[in-house]
Amino acid sequence: MWESKYVNQNKGDLVVAEVKIQSVTKMFGEVKAVNDFNAVIADGEFVSILGPSGCGKTTMLRMIAGFERATYGEIYIGDKLVSSSQANKFVPPEDRNIGMVFQSYAVWPHMNVFDNVAYPLKIKKYSKQQIMEKTTRALELVHLEAFSKRLPNQLSGGQQQRVALARALVGEPRLLLLDEPLSNLDAKLRESMRFEIKELQKQLGITVIYVTHDQAEAMAMSDRIIVMNQGVIQQSDMPEFVYESPANQIVADFIGLVNFIPAEVSAENIILPSINHILYSPGYRAGKALLAVRPEHIVMTTAENIGVSGTLLHKFYLGDSIDCRVAVKKEIIRVIGKASVYQHFQSGDEVTLQFEKIMVFPQD
Amino acid sequence: MDKKTFLPVIDLKWIVISIAVATLISFTVLPMLYLIFRSIVVDGVINIENYREVYNNIVNFSAFVNTFKISITVTAVSLLISFPLAWLVGRTDLPAKGFFRTLFVATYMIPPYVGAIAWIQLLNPRVGYMNVYLQKLFNLSAAPFDIYSFSGLVWCLTLFYSPFAFITISRALEKMDPTLEEASRVSGATPFETLYRVTLPLMFPSILAGGVLVFIGVASAFGIPAIVGMPAKIEVLTTRIVTYVYMGTGKGIREATALAVSLMLVANAILYFMTYILGKKDYVTIGGKSMRPNLVELGKWKWPITAIVGAYGLVSVFIPLASILVTSMLKSLSRPVSFDNLTFEKWLAVVDNSQYMETLSNSFITASIAATAATLIALFVAYLLVKTHAKGRRIPDSLATLGGATPSIVIALALIITFSGEFGLNLYSTLGILIVAYMVKYLTMAVRTIAASLSQVHSSLEEAALNSGANWLRSLKDILLPLIAPSIVAGWFLVFMPSFYELTMSIILYGSKTKTIGVLLYELQTYADPQDASVLAVVVLTIVLLGNIILRKISKGNVGI
Ligand SMILES: Nc1ncnc2c1ncn2[C@@H]1O[C@H](COP(=O)(O)OP(=O)(O)OP(=O)(O)O)[C@@H](O)[C@H]1O
Ligand SMILES: [Mg+2]
Repeated sequence: MWESKYVNQNKGDLVVAEVKIQSVTKMFGEVKAVNDFNAVIADGEFVSILGPSGCGKTTMLRMIAGFERATYGEIYIGDKLVSSSQANKFVPPEDRNIGMVFQSYAVWPHMNVFDNVAYPLKIKKYSKQQIMEKTTRALELVHLEAFSKRLPNQLSGGQQQRVALARALVGEPRLLLLDEPLSNLDAKLRESMRFEIKELQKQLGITVIYVTHDQAEAMAMSDRIIVMNQGVIQQSDMPEFVYESPANQIVADFIGLVNFIPAEVSAENIILPSINHILYSPGYRAGKALLAVRPEHIVMTTAENIGVSGTLLHKFYLGDSIDCRVAVKKEIIRVIGKASVYQHFQSGDEVTLQFEKIMVFPQD
Repeated sequence: MDKKTFLPVIDLKWIVISIAVATLISFTVLPMLYLIFRSIVVDGVINIENYREVYNNIVNFSAFVNTFKISITVTAVSLLISFPLAWLVGRTDLPAKGFFRTLFVATYMIPPYVGAIAWIQLLNPRVGYMNVYLQKLFNLSAAPFDIYSFSGLVWCLTLFYSPFAFITISRALEKMDPTLEEASRVSGATPFETLYRVTLPLMFPSILAGGVLVFIGVASAFGIPAIVGMPAKIEVLTTRIVTYVYMGTGKGIREATALAVSLMLVANAILYFMTYILGKKDYVTIGGKSMRPNLVELGKWKWPITAIVGAYGLVSVFIPLASILVTSMLKSLSRPVSFDNLTFEKWLAVVDNSQYMETLSNSFITASIAATAATLIALFVAYLLVKTHAKGRRIPDSLATLGGATPSIVIALALIITFSGEFGLNLYSTLGILIVAYMVKYLTMAVRTIAASLSQVHSSLEEAALNSGANWLRSLKDILLPLIAPSIVAGWFLVFMPSFYELTMSIILYGSKTKTIGVLLYELQTYADPQDASVLAVVVLTIVLLGNIILRKISKGNVGI
């Protein structure tokens, strides 16, 4: 059923589910919810849009789905121009042939599981037999074949979300949009569903755009992450790059944990007045800057070593790791390391910190 | 805090609440039970002869059938109008939605008998303004419409009772998770397919609930059937009941009770029917995060639809109001409408008429006292419901709801037979019996409003006051009341306004010294001076309008009649 990758069986035309978003801006009155968004999402790619609440993720996704009209810019799905402010063109959601999963599941309470999943096929007037076959296959895909006669209110949240997933996939869309599909589920279920969705995507080879504000989710699932803030794309990279070399301070702050220390950069050194320390580190642009160090990129050792000296204030056990707060002059620096390495430190101990990996963000 | 000071706190609370509950029971449940008792017990033995006798009279029987026929027709028409209107206002890019929303509920705050008066002025077969105009415009040999007919009655009732359905349906539509519809759109369904495959089935419980409200409202209506139906010889249960009560004989009252109990049974049967159906289909469709619905673009239909909807608003609200206003200002009813035939003379004469003014003041006094008492009781009933965990805390609330759901005419009749001295309390022909009647009927409005706002107040606030040593009444006064003050004022107005212009109960409860404005208007329209009726209608409408403006101000637009 899903093998015929490039042929859309409904319409018989060739489709490659590449999504092209060109200079898309969305205004709500005076508010720019999305500001000059540019992205190309390749066929079969799993891309997450990640950012804090209110940054415009949902708005962008809804423009791709066809629930909002872009104020400016163009959106292509495959070769088809689906939204253009210039050409005044707008294809409504029902004609975009996409699958979508909502945060609130949006499973229809008046239909049983089977009818929910079969709905897109009924709308597209498939034969009874085809509906039966395809719906059963979709239910198998999400492991709900045994539940087909149940009503949604007899299902758990996770099961309802799987119904929504099956419904989104049953029409064999080449593009699947998901808006925080897991945020109503508990932590355990969320992790297993992450895995399931990722597996499905690989198995079916479809393009996925996944909106979330949960960075761990985005990291774990995506081929690429688009980080947004206040409607503007901050960075668009593979997860490890977004983490290792954030494009700016906002991304560094949003992805993972980070200590920020005010810095003066000169030709060869980075001067850190607030902790009274100088790092020898040539190659950065001179001037005012912000030094960013991730807690796991700091090594904490005993006082006699060379480095930044401070006092251990608190340590918190997180099972396999330990989360420490170290006072250095007026700064509080967070350090995270293996429990086995740090367990012998006590609150009040004089310690030395060594920065293993630093990021520098110019401030002017 | 030791036990000694703690116990009285509890006691006081329960004493106050018990008084409120006791009042409620003695004025709601007891009279209703006594009404049923009186209708089936003749001379100390159970005897349904009374019913047989009543329904042997063909007029009563056909009144019963008419009540059904009219209620069902009006309900069906109302739903056919209200669902599309609610959908247009809630889910499409129809322009000026706020204005239309207000327009579609406007008739809800106009006393129905005022509407009846207006429509008689407009569609009276001989001199109705609209009839005359249309006859000239299209050069017709006869008037195109006759208000004194089954369809005239249905038309008038639909305009005034369909807002019940519109309000219920559009509230439910507002609360419905819009992603349920969006999921259908991405599944490939057009807006129209989505409407009838997803929205409509999901809205079914609310549509049914709205329909039941319309049905019960129409079945219990008196004003419009009396003013429009009776001249057309279309009798319904309520008009028959009033006729029997007016006979003033024991037999008359007995036959009235039989008809009233029938009406009550019809209303209850419909309610049970609804609960039964809803029991099977009560979905939770209230959504989570994104509650801004995606608006369906009407496209090329936008302006034609706007025009139709606007025309409906014009015909249902503006034209009748204009008709009342113009009539109240005519120098001579027999001359055509023109500027030189307009005057304020009639208004001055009405203001000078001491009998009219006394009636107005009767209505003011009874409605104010009823509203004040009802608000007080509602406060305790709502408190009991929302803020305590007592067993049976829902009972007083359900009693209030029962009062609101019982046809007015039934309440009035029950009060008459119960409080005419039978049980040591004689309120017959006093302002008191009117006050009790208004309270019983409209208490639920105040309870709903106050309960809603009480449930927003976290109980820790009150507990903090109690812990700092304040007794219960004190904490109520210092903490709770200021927080929910707007809802208390809103609750007061919600009782005051319908009480002020009430007709159905007043018409059988009033005495020679206690005539109310509703009764006066009805009598003037039916027997004496339709133009004075129009002037007084303008007065009533102005007061209702002012009340609504105040209500909207204090509730920040959340409450209105
Ligand atoms: N229909 C609308 N009308 C007006 N403003 C809107 C509308 N939809 C969204 N906004 C505004 O646009 C901005 C972006 O909203 P959006 O829902 O896209 O954020 P989000 O990134 O999805 O946030 P969250 O993580 O909370 O879901 C917000 O400031 C929001 O208030
Ligand atoms: Mg969102």
